[in-house]
Amino acid sequence: MRFTITRDNLQQGLASVAASIPTRTTLPVLSNILIEADDEGVRMSGTDLDIAVSLQVGAEVEEGGALTVPAKKLQELARELPENPVRITTKGDRFELTCGRASFRLNGLPRDEFPTFPAVDFRESWRIPAEVLGTLIRQTSFAVSTEESRPILNGVLWQLGDDEMRMVATNGHRLALMKQRLETSGAPRVDLIVPPKALAQVDRLFGAGEEIEVARSENHLGFRRGGTRVFTRLIEGPYPNYEQVIPRDNDKVAVADKGALMQALRRMAVVASEQTHRVRLSFHAGTLRFSVESPDLGEATEELEVDYQGDPLDIGFNASYLLEVLRYMPTSDVRLTFKAPERAATVTPLAAEGESAPDYLCLVMPLRLLE
Amino acid sequence: MPRRIQVLPDTLANQIAAGEVVERPASVVKELVENALDAAATRIDVAIQNGGKTEIRVADDGCGMGRDDALLALDRYATSKIARPEDLATVRTFGFRGEALPSIAAVSRLTLETAEAGEVGTRVRVAGGRILGAEDCARQAGTTVVVRNLFFNVPARAKFLRSAAVETRAVVDTLTTLALANLSAAFRLESNGRMLLELPAAPDLATRVADLWGEEAARRFLGLDDRSDDGIAVAGLIERPDAAAPTPRRAHLFVAGRPFRDRLLLAAVDRAYRTTIPEGVRPSVLLYLDVPAGAVDINVHPTKAEVRFRDRAAVEAAVEAAIRAALGRVESAATLDDVPARPQLRRAEPPAPPTPTSAAANQLAFFVAAASPADADAPVAADAAAGERDLRAHAVPAAERPPSLWQLHDTYILAESRSGLILIDQHSAHERILFEELMRGFADGGQTSQRLLFPLTLRLSPAEYAVVEDSLSLFHRAGFEIEPFGGRTIIVHAAPVPHPYFNPERCLRDMLAELAAGSELTRAARNQHERIAMTFACKGAIKAGQRLSPREMQELFDRLFATELPHHDVHGRPTVVRLSLHELERRFGRHG
Repeated sequence: MRFTITRDNLQQGLASVAASIPTRTTLPVLSNILIEADDEGVRMSGTDLDIAVSLQVGAEVEEGGALTVPAKKLQELARELPENPVRITTKGDRFELTCGRASFRLNGLPRDEFPTFPAVDFRESWRIPAEVLGTLIRQTSFAVSTEESRPILNGVLWQLGDDEMRMVATNGHRLALMKQRLETSGAPRVDLIVPPKALAQVDRLFGAGEEIEVARSENHLGFRRGGTRVFTRLIEGPYPNYEQVIPRDNDKVAVADKGALMQALRRMAVVASEQTHRVRLSFHAGTLRFSVESPDLGEATEELEVDYQGDPLDIGFNASYLLEVLRYMPTSDVRLTFKAPERAATVTPLAAEGESAPDYLCLVMPLRLLE
Repeated sequence: MPRRIQVLPDTLANQIAAGEVVERPASVVKELVENALDAAATRIDVAIQNGGKTEIRVADDGCGMGRDDALLALDRYATSKIARPEDLATVRTFGFRGEALPSIAAVSRLTLETAEAGEVGTRVRVAGGRILGAEDCARQAGTTVVVRNLFFNVPARAKFLRSAAVETRAVVDTLTTLALANLSAAFRLESNGRMLLELPAAPDLATRVADLWGEEAARRFLGLDDRSDDGIAVAGLIERPDAAAPTPRRAHLFVAGRPFRDRLLLAAVDRAYRTTIPEGVRPSVLLYLDVPAGAVDINVHPTKAEVRFRDRAAVEAAVEAAIRAALGRVESAATLDDVPARPQLRRAEPPAPPTPTSAAANQLAFFVAAASPADADAPVAADAAAGERDLRAHAVPAAERPPSLWQLHDTYILAESRSGLILIDQHSAHERILFEELMRGFADGGQTSQRLLFPLTLRLSPAEYAVVEDSLSLFHRAGFEIEPFGGRTIIVHAAPVPHPYFNPERCLRDMLAELAAGSELTRAARNQHERIAMTFACKGAIKAGQRLSPREMQELFDRLFATELPHHDVHGRPTVVRLSLHELERRFGRHG
C-alpha cells in the first residue's frame, strides 16, 4: 500500500472513525483502525463489534493494499503533524509515515485479523432527511436505560409508519417520545430497536445536510451517505407497549418558564439526597413550591410563580430526571400535567404565539413522598 | 428432758461455713490470693502439689500482719476490711466477710507465716481449726500460707475432689482470672515443681494477655473504653470480628476489679456483635466494668461469683454501646497484617486519682497505665491504633489530596488511608449501607420509592406469596409497592432505587425466595424488619463485577463510613480489609 494524503484529510478521517473504536478491549485488533487503499481512495474503518463506522477520504493512491494500525497512536500522531502532505507506505505489517522531515514506523496487524462488517444490502434502502433523523436522535436517546437487566430498554425504539416516524426511549422511570411527519416514501413500516451509541455516531457523522440512505438486514441496520457508512447491530424486541402508559387523563396543568424551573431545580438538587435526588413539588393556584429534605445534610425550599389552576398537589420527583427532561425541551415555556402523586407526569414544549412546537412528550414517574 | 437444740462448737460451725467458701483447691487459691492482693502484694507465688490436694502454698510480699492480727485472722468474721454495716455498700477489697482464712483452717493443716516490715515474723500452725501454737520466725514483710491435706477431717468433701489434673486446671483458671484483674502484681504458679504461669507485672492488659495466652492471641483483640451517661465505664479487650471463630469463648467479666459470671451480660455482648460475625461464632471478651458506688451488690454469693446490679438494663446497654462503638472503629476491620498492632485501651477522660489507702483502687488503675501507649512501637503503628471512628479523616492525607479510589477487577475498591491502605469489597460495603439505611427507613416511615412506568408482574410460589401477604406493609416501607393480584401473582408498582444498576425484579424475587426458604441470614435476624432489611441489602446491593465510576466509588465510600459499623457486612464478613504502612515497611525491610 502506498498513498499520499493531506494532513487535514488524515485527521478528519481518523476523528470520524476513532469514536467507534473501543478504548479497552480483550481483542487487540479492535483498538486498531483498518486502512484500505484502492482506486477510489482511502477507506478508514473501526468497530467495537456492535457498531462499525467507515469513511472514504481523498488521497493519491499509488498502490492498493490494507493494514490495521493502532488508532489512538495514529490519531495522536496526526494531531501533531506539520501542515505538509503525508506519505504512507506499508512493508508487510509495518506502517510507515513520513511528513516533512519526520518519519514514523508503527507496528500494524494484518487485515484478515480485523472482523468483517455485518452485511447490509443497500439496494433496498430508504431515504431520510438528515436533520429530521438527527433531531429525533438527540431528543430521545438520552432517556435509554443504562441498567442491563432489560436489554430492550438499552435501545431506542425507532418506529417507521406510513407518514410518520417516531423515536421512543425509556428506562422505566422516565420516557421521551418524539414524532415527525414524514412524506418520504419507500420506508418500510417497521419497528427497530437501535443501540443509542450507533445513533450518536449517525448524528455526529450525518447530523446535517443531505438525505441519508438507510437499509436493514435481519439483525443489522446500515446508514450511508457518500463514502461514510455506519452499521449497527439491532436489539431484538418486542419493545414494551409505551402508548399504554402515556397518561390521557392528566387534569392538573401547570405552565412555567423552563429556565426558571431548571434554575430552581438545580439549587434544590444541591441539597437533595445524592442517591435518590428526591425533590418535592407543591402546586397551589399560581405558585409552585419546591422543597427538599436530606436527613444528613439539611433542607431547602423555593417558590416560583407558575400558571396553575387545579387542586393543590404534592408530588415527588427525582430532580435529575426532571432537569434532564427540561433540558431537552425546545421551547422556553413548558407545560406539565399531573393526575395524582403516584401517577405519571408529562412535560411538553409550549410554542410561543405564531410559532409551532415539535410533537414531543416526556414522561416522568414520581417518587413516593414520605409524610 | 434433754435439750435437743444446741449451739454448735466453733470448729464444727467453721467446717460448715468452709463448705460454702472452700469447695476445692482452686477456691483456697482464690481466697488466699485475694487476701494477698488486699495486702497490696506486688508479687504472689502459688505452688501446688497434686492439684492442691496435698499442698497449696501462697506466698506474697504484701504488708503482712503482727502476731495479734495473725491470731485474730483465724477467727471467723475477723476482717480488717469493713467495720460498720455501711462499709458493705462501698467495699472495694476482695475479701471482706472475714470467713476465708478460718474456713480454710477448719478443713486443713494450715501454717501461716507473716511479718510486717521491719518486725519479727510470726508463725501460726493450725490443724482442723485448732490452733496448735504461735511462735516467732524470721521472714521479710509479707505472708505465706501453706495449706496441707485439704479436707483431711471432712472425708465426705474429700471424696468429691476430682483428679489432680482437673483440680490443677481449676487452679490455673482461677489464677488467670485474678491475674487479668490485677495487672500490677506479678504472679507465678508452680505445680509439682513445674512452672505453669509466669506473669511479670504488666503495664497494660494486652501485655498480660500476651503473657497468658501468647502474643498472637493478644493481637486478635481490639481495645475498648467507654463511659455511658449513667457513669458506667466499660473497658477491656474484645475479639476482632475477623479473628473470632466458632470455638469456645474466653469470657472474663469484672466489676470494680472483681470477677463475676453473668450470662445475661454475655447475651448483651452477643447482641452488640450482631451482624459483624457469622451466626454461631462466640467472640472472646475481657470486660472491666466500673459502676458508681452503690450501683452493684457483690455480697449476694458466698464465693462472690455473681453480682447484682441495681440497674441491670443500664449496664447491659452500656456494654452493648461500648462494644458497638469499638466495632465501629477502624481497628475492628479485618487486617492483612501478619503482625497486627496490639490493642490499646484509650480513655477519653482522665481517671480519678487512685486513693493510696485503697489497694483495690490500684487494681483498677491498669486502664490508666494502658492509656499512655505502653509500647511506643513506632509512630506509624501508634497512629494506626489511634484510629478515630471516622476513617475519612484517615483516608484523606494531610495535603488535601482527595483519596484516590481504584477499582480492582470491578469488585474491590482500594483506597489510601493514613495508616496504610484499605480494600473495600463493593458488594459487602453496599450491603452494610443498605441494611442500615433501610433499618433507619423503617423507623422514619419508609424508603424512597420510584414509581415504575411498566409495573412488574411476578408469579410466586405459595410460600413466597405468603411472605408478601404477611409483610406487605414492611415491603411497602422498604419501597416495594406491591399489589397482591390473587392466584399467587403480584404486581409491583414502585421499587426502591439503591443504585443505578439496580434490578428490582431480580432483587425482589431473590428476597422472596430467601425469605420463604429461610437461610442462615434470615435466622440470624431478630425480627421480620431485620429479615427484610438484611435480604434487601444482600440482594439489592451493587454486585461484584459492576464497574463503578470514580464518583460512584466516592459516594459508596462516603456512605459506608457514615454507617454505624462500616467495617462489617450483614453476614458477619468484613467489608474492609486493611494493610498497615507498618506491615508494608516490615515486608519491604524498611525497618526492624
